[in-house]
Amino acid sequence: MKLKKAVIAVCALMGTVAVHAAEPIKIGVVTPLSGTYAPIGQQVRWGLDLAVKEINAAGGVMGRQIELLYEDEEANPAVATQKAEKLFQVSKVDFLTGTVNSGSTLAVGQLAERNNRLIATTVSFADSITGDKCSPNVFRVNARAGMQSAALAEWLAKEKPKANVFFIGPDYEMGRSTVAAFKKAAEAKGAKTVGEVFAPLDNKDYSPFFGQIRAAKPNVIYTSVAGNDTVRLFTQMSEYGVNRNVTIVGASGTVTSQNLSAIGKAAEGFVTGVGYSPKLDTPENKKFVAAFQAAYKALPDLYGADSYGVLYFYKAAAEKAGSVDTDKVRGAMRDLEWSTPQGRKKMRAGDHQAMQEMYAVTVRNGQFDIIGKVSAEAAVGPDACTRF
Amino acid sequence: MTALFDSLQFIYAPQIINGLSIGVAVILMALGLTIIFGLLDVINMSHGEFYAAGAYLSVTLLGLDLSFWLVLVLVPVILFPAGFLIERYLIQRVFHHRDRHILTLLLTFGLAIVLEDAYRLVWGANPMRPETPISGATEFLGIYFPQYRLFLMAFGSLLILGVWWVVYKTPAGAIVRAAAYDRDMSASLGVPVKAVYALTFAFGVALAGLAGVLLAPIYSVFPTMGKDFILLAFTVVIVGGLGSIKGAVIAALLLTQLQSISSLFISPVWSDPLVFGVMVLVLMFRPAGLFGGFKNG
Amino acid sequence: MADAAGRVIRRTEYILLAATAILFVVGLMAGDTFFFRLATESLIFGGLALAVDLLLGIVGLLSLGQALYFGFGAYVSALLLKEVAPSFWLATGAVLAASAVVGYLSSFIALRSKGVYFALITFGLAQVAAKTVYNTRELGASDGIIGIPIVVIGTPFGGLDTANAPVFFLVTLGVIALLYGLTKYLLATPMGGIWHAVRANEARLPFIGFDTLGPKRAAFTLAAMIAAVSGALYPMLRGFVSPELLYFSTSGNAVVTVVLGGVGTLIGPLFGSALLTGLRSVIGTWTEHHQILIGLIFVAVVVLAPRGIVGIAIERAKRRAGEQI
Repeated sequence: MKLKKAVIAVCALMGTVAVHAAEPIKIGVVTPLSGTYAPIGQQVRWGLDLAVKEINAAGGVMGRQIELLYEDEEANPAVATQKAEKLFQVSKVDFLTGTVNSGSTLAVGQLAERNNRLIATTVSFADSITGDKCSPNVFRVNARAGMQSAALAEWLAKEKPKANVFFIGPDYEMGRSTVAAFKKAAEAKGAKTVGEVFAPLDNKDYSPFFGQIRAAKPNVIYTSVAGNDTVRLFTQMSEYGVNRNVTIVGASGTVTSQNLSAIGKAAEGFVTGVGYSPKLDTPENKKFVAAFQAAYKALPDLYGADSYGVLYFYKAAAEKAGSVDTDKVRGAMRDLEWSTPQGRKKMRAGDHQAMQEMYAVTVRNGQFDIIGKVSAEAAVGPDACTRF
Repeated sequence: MTALFDSLQFIYAPQIINGLSIGVAVILMALGLTIIFGLLDVINMSHGEFYAAGAYLSVTLLGLDLSFWLVLVLVPVILFPAGFLIERYLIQRVFHHRDRHILTLLLTFGLAIVLEDAYRLVWGANPMRPETPISGATEFLGIYFPQYRLFLMAFGSLLILGVWWVVYKTPAGAIVRAAAYDRDMSASLGVPVKAVYALTFAFGVALAGLAGVLLAPIYSVFPTMGKDFILLAFTVVIVGGLGSIKGAVIAALLLTQLQSISSLFISPVWSDPLVFGVMVLVLMFRPAGLFGGFKNG
Repeated sequence: MADAAGRVIRRTEYILLAATAILFVVGLMAGDTFFFRLATESLIFGGLALAVDLLLGIVGLLSLGQALYFGFGAYVSALLLKEVAPSFWLATGAVLAASAVVGYLSSFIALRSKGVYFALITFGLAQVAAKTVYNTRELGASDGIIGIPIVVIGTPFGGLDTANAPVFFLVTLGVIALLYGLTKYLLATPMGGIWHAVRANEARLPFIGFDTLGPKRAAFTLAAMIAAVSGALYPMLRGFVSPELLYFSTSGNAVVTVVLGGVGTLIGPLFGSALLTGLRSVIGTWTEHHQILIGLIFVAVVVLAPRGIVGIAIERAKRRAGEQI
């Protein structure tokens, strides 16, 4: 392995990389393997590894095996671009995926444009990536923030009509735009906003905000915090009894299989709009979940499922194009329909946003039960990309 | 008038009490830090990672079905020798260098990098959380307050008093203060200065570990958790005066109240810059902090 | 500066220059892009380390927040290039002027304290700045600013395209060499003498009639300008800026670089930056637990060789020449 890498490096240095027909298709993965976002990187890695194992065992893509090349981006755009450039320039990867935080996705997307390669994100859900900052070289296979809000708002209007909603968001671009998106969707369906508070990212203690929440007397609390922050927020809310007689809803990244066990009982009853649940009752998903659990002794979450699906997306596009050439693959990716554990997805040509059915799920006995469904067309929202 | 009382009772009072419970948590973090600086003149950049070590150990030990109270005793006992060895075999090696301040700061900074990654290697990247040992809440004058936090405030206060008593009222404390005041004189009077240094460092590390056990149930456990509190703890120690126990206590209470109350009026995002701003101001006008040094009590 | 030390530093300069020249030719022949750009990045962060070394190694002030000025330069440069005009001269000129002002003004805050307090106050200042940028929507908040255009540097000999990796590498090399040369020149002036004296024994200087605050302020401002100009090159290389550039990880890395390369040698930090950037790139691909390795190397250097690589070479040369260490 090391020798092979050395050989590749030397070849690249000499500028004489010969392309053989049987040479593997190289896919770069720039994802956070260390730092705060490492748990998400873990799911991304598991999903991709599983898909590659299956695809390669079934004969690869156009007879070529897939090889994944991992780099740790530390959730830092400055590191991500350097690593992505290495993959583009030295390893000559044909495709790249894995970026998690939207800053990294945007910066790497710009790099892909300048290197004439394609990337896809499987995690970043900032609307801007396929909206006002869209790029012809960037695709998104996961559901964006707006789609998640649509599914959740639909459920809310049906189950808790005219809800009084209090919003708690982490105070940074993503947190604010997620709250704004849901607020708009919910208010359009009759919900009322009774208050909002934005806490700093990595906030330690949420108890100073509980007074405001109590005073506003909400019957629904929406939050877009994620990761460790959720663990603290939920634990402290149940500590102070803020969650009594209140339904807590939130973004899809708020409660995931990574922090669910740490939150424990406090997560029960949480509702979110999301593009995936391990409990989806389809043969494809059951097969996927079984294989995933057998391989990693853990359940897949939305990141794992979307990352698993992105390789089938690439496979379908490359086979349709009959080539791994950037322009041909891009052409093939547009309006492509492919199947994933989450059902059929379709890549919208106008903004490179995948369309898929969205679900409202709730945490019941530590599992994500599906309690509502919104069609892909209703959830996806208008195409806001004007660049291509 | 009733409106005023209502706002006092339902908005300000809970805010102040919450701030108080956070303040105690911060003091627990800052104590070890300030003692280590007071005696050794070492800025321990890995203090947060020792706090994390305590939290992680508590998760593992509780997983073995040990009782929380036993773990509370065991973790400091385990961390004490670890701190002793680190002082003896790492810090002492650069302690006599001309740039002692800077080298020990860098050394502990490097140690922090290593420890953080080591936690991920051993315990994985996902957050964990031990169950709160005391559940339920108390209602008092319309204010709803979790019992574990009440316990934390009581226990924390006792601990702070205990540490103060050890440092200022016992022969051991007198030796430590003497060694801090004049190392050579103490040595010539027969004080085993080297052992005192290592033991004090170990004491500080054990305190950080204890804080980790106590706070893990409310603040959860994950590899980068050491970075979280340490910024505030550093600020507290600097504002209070490096090495001053009294200063750390007062500064911690002041700064956490400032954060807590200010979050009612301005976006809480600015609470960190606010606290740092106070630190910068204090350093500008009272470079040694509000109460300088534990040599002079 | 002692003779043996001067010789080692000169030799290190030659070695670095020769290695750069050889690698440049090899890279050019291979038509490489990535390694040129990686080398450019290492030079840019080398410039930041140079600023840290000027403060730490020469004047004896440990800055834990030099990324503040680096990030300042990067953001000013990015905004000018994107919003005003894609001009290299405008960006670097404006950054130079603005950082002189900001550096001078912030020295009034930072230099009120000494020793560890100075370290902590610089750390605090950088934290406040990073948080502010992170929360300011006009500066792109947490996402940073992308879409900074490719710059063509107008010179009397024609345009230099920053998108061309070898060309921009040479430009960066020129800028960093200029900063290095300027610092080295200043060290030989009377001002440089006072800087060294401040590090050796600051308390005694006022008694023999020297004002120390003025020279310290000059050093602080200069270090801010060096960091800012280095930072100004970053968006030209990568096409974006993000708040992470101001984080403690950036400042801390610069300190690690200085200690690894050799405190107080000025050339050591540049050497250390090349070494560390290369090391990170290789180890990062090899294992996701690269932090542990980098951390262990760093701890080992601090404990076993606190003078760094170039420092060790100087020590040995002195011993051979029979000079006092």
